[in-house]
Amino acid sequence: MSIRYRLDSIQTSYDSRTVLDIGRLTLRAGRLYILTGANGAGKSTLLSHLALLTAPTSGEIVFEGETVHWSNSALQRQRRDVTLVHQSPYLFTGSVAANVAYGLKLRGVHGDGLKQRVEEALALVGLAGFGHRRSRELSGGEAQRVALARALALETKVLLLDEPLANVDRNTSDLLENIISALPARGTTVVMTTHDPEHLERLKGERIHLTAGRLAAPQSFSNTSVEEGEIQPCRLSPKPATSFSIA
Amino acid sequence: MDFFSESLKTALELITSRDPDVVSAVTVSVVVSLWSTLFASLAGVPAGVAVAVTEFTGKRAVVTLLNTLMALPTVVVGLFVYSLISRQGPLGGFGILFTPWAMVVGQTLLAIPIVANLTMSAIKGADPRIVPTALTLGAGPFESIRRLVVEMRFGIMAAVIAGFGRVIAEVGVAMMLGGNIRGYTRTMTTAIAMETGKGEFALGLALGLILMTVALMINMALNALQQR
Repeated sequence: MSIRYRLDSIQTSYDSRTVLDIGRLTLRAGRLYILTGANGAGKSTLLSHLALLTAPTSGEIVFEGETVHWSNSALQRQRRDVTLVHQSPYLFTGSVAANVAYGLKLRGVHGDGLKQRVEEALALVGLAGFGHRRSRELSGGEAQRVALARALALETKVLLLDEPLANVDRNTSDLLENIISALPARGTTVVMTTHDPEHLERLKGERIHLTAGRLAAPQSFSNTSVEEGEIQPCRLSPKPATSFSIA
Repeated sequence: MDFFSESLKTALELITSRDPDVVSAVTVSVVVSLWSTLFASLAGVPAGVAVAVTEFTGKRAVVTLLNTLMALPTVVVGLFVYSLISRQGPLGGFGILFTPWAMVVGQTLLAIPIVANLTMSAIKGADPRIVPTALTLGAGPFESIRRLVVEMRFGIMAAVIAGFGRVIAEVGVAMMLGGNIRGYTRTMTTAIAMETGKGEFALGLALGLILMTVALMINMALNALQQR
């Protein structure tokens, strides 16, 4: 599997407080990564870097073999291969269909092709026929699903999900889990955060655990594919490891 | 009290009979104010958005200046523009003093700080997720700001309406730069000031009623926008 991201010596600080300190992290195509950690562990900061929205204070991110230059015009092209669904997503005013169509239009999709992809994406999240509804009239769970449909419609190489299952009922959660777990087979790299141990058990993903901004050795977790040799240094280290390759 | 009720009765007759002086003053007021608001919006909305979304050295000073300019006395603007467009002024060659366009220039300067400031407030009060959401869906920097403006359009429209409210009710600029020429640059406010001074209370009251109606409509529009 090809490498999507390589993060080297990433450090991010806010007001001289280091919130993220990662020596090395590699993410591959067609994998599902589950990002865990306590509140304030740096999960959202890491997702923001992976979404190419914010630059780390220092260090290098290589995306699809190309170093990310944060003030470069190439950044927008690179960003179009990634999308992020926030825990509490923002839906633009207007119809559900207009929301789902937004990113597609920016990519030059118009006409019947646009309509078809919007309908397919909505059907995928169980919202077929919702296109004409106003975004402000939706429930929290429906809004979450529209945001996911909006992201899925783009068919990006990377899908980042910040607690996508936190505010939805069990049926919606099951539906979203099925959608998410099917994506890696299409070559999509999925990185999702969760606090719920049940999701960790059910989703066939590889775990990235953050402790105080540092990568930590996975705790007991049946789905991890990280090899024993890779986590050994973390166990021996008196402080959390800063280097960790999930490959 | 009889004086007031008689004047009110005459005022209503002037309005219903479409008295030429009333119609002219209302027309000049509305047309000049619309042009001023249009120009003030073209300058003030982008300026307000730019100040709100960018960080630069001296931003605090710019915000303070905009706040101060919101309370700019109309006669000061009138004096400033007069010095520019009078025959001896650097722009005197255009010959626009005592024309509706002179009033447009002055009222535009008066409305720009209001439109810019209220636009800036609307943008700063926007949901902080709007721009990141647009960026993660593939928008570039310009498109993400355009999306922000679209999302905050009601707040920006409220800023524009507030600017219109400011200029249609002002008297200093209209008097100093327009010259209060009957049927040409006489507005509702300058007519009210002049007619009341002459003791023609009824015409002043008729125009005052229309002006109050316009103000009421502006406030209703603002309330409607703020509730969206």
